[in-house]
Amino acid sequence: MNLLVIPAIPLLAALVASVAPGRKGAPAVTLMGACATLGGALWAAARVASSGRLVTIAAWAELDGLSALVLLVVAFVAVLAALYSWGYLSAHGYEPRTVRRYGIHFNLFVFALVLVPVLAEPALVWMAVEFTALFSVLLVGFDGTPEALEAAWKYIALMFMGAAIALLGVFLLFRAQAVVGGGHYSWEGLRSIGPRLPQGLVIAAFVLILVGFGTKSGLVPMHTWLPDAHSQAPSPVCALLSGVKTTVVLYTILRLVPLLPAHEMDVWLQGVGLLSVGTAAFLLLQVRDYKRLFAYSTVEHMGIIVVAVGFGTPHGAYGAMLQIVSHAITKSFCFFAAGSALLVVGTREIASVRGLVRSSPLVAASLLFGALAIGGAPPMAVFLSEFAILRAGLASGAYLATALLIGFIAVAFAGILLHVNRMVFGPAPAPDPAVHRRALPTTCVLTLVLGAIPILVLGVYQPSGLHTLMTQAAAALAPAVVP
Amino acid sequence: MGRHLLFNLIQVAVVLAFAPLVAGVLARLKEIVQSRRGPSVFQPYRDLRKLFHKDEVVSDRSSWIFRFTPYLVFVTPLLVTLLIPVLTDYPLFFAFMGDMLGGGFILALGGFFATLAAVDTGNPYGPVGASRTRMVGFLAEPVFMIVFFTVSFVAGSTIPYIVQQAWVTPLANFFAPSHVLLLLAFLMLILAEGGRIPVDNPTGHFELAMIDESKALEYSGRGMALMKWGGYMKLFVLMCIYLNVLVAPWGLAHEQTLAAVLLAIPLILFKIFCFLLVLVVIESSLAKLRLFRITEFLGAAFVSAVVAMISRLFAF
Amino acid sequence: MPMPPATSADWLLNLNALAGGAFLLVSFGLVALRQVQGCVRLYVLQSVLLATSALLLSALFQTWHLYAVGILDLATKAVLIPWMLRRALHDEIYVRREITQVFNIPTALLMALALAIAAYFLSRPMLAAVAHDAPVALNLPIGLAGLLLGGLTAVGRREAVPLLLGLLAMENSAFFAGIALAPELPLTAEVSVAFDVLVLVFVVAVLTRAVERRTGTTAVGALTTLREDPRG
Repeated sequence: MNLLVIPAIPLLAALVASVAPGRKGAPAVTLMGACATLGGALWAAARVASSGRLVTIAAWAELDGLSALVLLVVAFVAVLAALYSWGYLSAHGYEPRTVRRYGIHFNLFVFALVLVPVLAEPALVWMAVEFTALFSVLLVGFDGTPEALEAAWKYIALMFMGAAIALLGVFLLFRAQAVVGGGHYSWEGLRSIGPRLPQGLVIAAFVLILVGFGTKSGLVPMHTWLPDAHSQAPSPVCALLSGVKTTVVLYTILRLVPLLPAHEMDVWLQGVGLLSVGTAAFLLLQVRDYKRLFAYSTVEHMGIIVVAVGFGTPHGAYGAMLQIVSHAITKSFCFFAAGSALLVVGTREIASVRGLVRSSPLVAASLLFGALAIGGAPPMAVFLSEFAILRAGLASGAYLATALLIGFIAVAFAGILLHVNRMVFGPAPAPDPAVHRRALPTTCVLTLVLGAIPILVLGVYQPSGLHTLMTQAAAALAPAVVP
Repeated sequence: MGRHLLFNLIQVAVVLAFAPLVAGVLARLKEIVQSRRGPSVFQPYRDLRKLFHKDEVVSDRSSWIFRFTPYLVFVTPLLVTLLIPVLTDYPLFFAFMGDMLGGGFILALGGFFATLAAVDTGNPYGPVGASRTRMVGFLAEPVFMIVFFTVSFVAGSTIPYIVQQAWVTPLANFFAPSHVLLLLAFLMLILAEGGRIPVDNPTGHFELAMIDESKALEYSGRGMALMKWGGYMKLFVLMCIYLNVLVAPWGLAHEQTLAAVLLAIPLILFKIFCFLLVLVVIESSLAKLRLFRITEFLGAAFVSAVVAMISRLFAF
Repeated sequence: MPMPPATSADWLLNLNALAGGAFLLVSFGLVALRQVQGCVRLYVLQSVLLATSALLLSALFQTWHLYAVGILDLATKAVLIPWMLRRALHDEIYVRREITQVFNIPTALLMALALAIAAYFLSRPMLAAVAHDAPVALNLPIGLAGLLLGGLTAVGRREAVPLLLGLLAMENSAFFAGIALAPELPLTAEVSVAFDVLVLVFVVAVLTRAVERRTGTTAVGALTTLREDPRG
């Protein structure tokens, strides 16, 4: 099977969704497309796990462990988000036209997300990364309120600023390769000549791409769009944005790590990561909007992944891969839970949500579960990955960074639980008639249940195929061995 | 040597004689663009003659500065003329006395005294114009400095005779970005220093809006004539520096013969005429800026001068 | 003083330098110009200068890649994007003047100057790595400076169209450096970037129309309700 079929599926789904009849047509098409994409991703991941690489067009479209892992995560979250969108759209009772519009943009967004790991040529990856922003901006502003449009504007402006900066980095990278000569201009081609690349150019390219794409993946201090976009976008879109879009962009940054002079940038990466973790942990404490709460948590987790890579050891890289997976599934679940709370309560204000456990126990339970899971409580997936990262940090001798990381994670955990606790427990206030409340649709409940399973399972058990894939992915972060 | 002295004096004579003509041509061109006939191009000469024949009234509250200033304003452009290439591409008798910075200082001296004289009389409009001139001056000075620094950096000299050669050897240098940007910056400076639109309206008669003109409001008779003539010559000299040193270092006398020098006179007049056409386009298509927008105008000049400088400093 | 005769490469380099200087100046103009319509024209001018540089460098390197890039650039940025902007947004937006900017204009210009000088310093280590290749030595600092100035434009503007043009100027600048850095970059990259920019303009136009419908203004930079403000 051709690798390019996988991104072609959501593209096709977008086309079909544009003519799908009724209020159920587009969501159904979207869900089917997402399932087919997941099927394709599973197939590709299995092939990569067994053979190491999957090449359709050399140096253009190929998968290795790292990209297969990202592809798998994207496809999985896309299925859940598509399922949740079904309920979300029907609960809002949108017109068929609006539903179709949502379907088109959603599928295009998934297309762009899938395209990033599938492509292997940096300039084309740049384009795909830019597509993830361009196709999601109208989803961010989907509600059409002034706040949503403001968030969308801020989003697109920062996205494109980041893209332009990264574009210069892509050019520099090409130049670096041209100086050495030989090989393809692709991730693998660059990695194979990594140590021979001129260091000045590679570091300059890396810094530009880190700044540019770091903006897109929400690293401090370029994270300002993230809470705004997440508070305004529809909840299933938040799940994609937060769970996988940031990860996908971070993946492109990680692709450059093996090109860097060994261990020269480690301290810098740790610093950049810790800045994000620390800032986000303390900003978490003072949020007033529970979707922003989880948005800051995303900034925190992106930082953790960067720190883990910055440890510069295979264990650190493995921890980062584990964190990518666990964060994606957990954070998307958190946004499904937050979206459900928004549906049944009708407000995003933490202060106006009290005693959720009495009014809607299921939402309360999932919110609490999500908060515990994303905070890193055992026995959930994030606990395992954070534990692996901290252990790698201690083993690599970066004691200060590890200590700071532990401190920040603790602060973030406390911050998230503090807010969610207030929402879940306490006396239920008298219902405000001005606020529009909705019943939770069945598909949303189904999403919550399906989403919770892997979080629990991955906390205690790792399928061997996934383990192989993550080991391969971690190996892709190490510099190639030069004969 | 004696020949160089003669050529130098010819230069001074050319500036003296043709500066009012340039002003007249400029006024006439503007009138034509505005679909009017306008006065004859020789009108400035008639004005000057008339003013020289009139009595002069001097306020008894004013000091020697007021009486001294017209002479200074009249002499300073002539002194600068001794230093710069107006007709020849080789240094003349007095050229050793100063470089482009020196010329700038001499012109600034005239401006400084004109400002003092404006304050001297006690006429309320004088100080208004004086303070505005200073404001424009403060903003223009750094630009002048950057322009001179860049020029001297490129040519390795501040002597105008050396600078003009640096731009065209090899000819490809003419299109160097530092050169083109300097041309732009200097053009904006000429507009500001010469009191042209969009910084100032030289033909305006509304005292409150005046910048340059209001400084001469109290003068009459011979003082007025000298101030006006000095103003014409200042513009002429600025244009000569701009055209001969920066824009088009061609058409100057290269041989040390009287015929070559005399032949250079129509050529420089032709260059100035071409420049006047550009000036007329600028003046007719722009409106006078509000006073506080002048900051932005000169800010733009500053930016292009600095860009010229950095594109020279770092590139190549 | 004996001078080596100017070769055609010298001429091309100098003309390229001229295009670069003008490019930088136009970037400054985008930071400071008040008229929206003027900004659009400046952007077109900037794109034309980018294309000029691409064509000159294609003659210098004798590669058809850059020739195609120049043509593509002219077609999309000098023709298609202004046309799209015209079609998508009504004329009233273009005759507007931006009354307030985030920074006043002299301040913005000074910041821009500082950024431009910083760009030259930042590009030093990169230039050292490419062994002082003359076109790169010219284009890279200018591209980097344009990138920073475009960012300043996007940050400092409130009106939607100049803000968008700041973003597009950033992309132009990245390309200005790119044509010298990577003249042999596969054409697919350039085509995809051009396509990307077109989608961006389209999306932003849709968004701007929505903003104007909802809030009655296109001063998108003035929308600042989303903040982490304890009092709300």
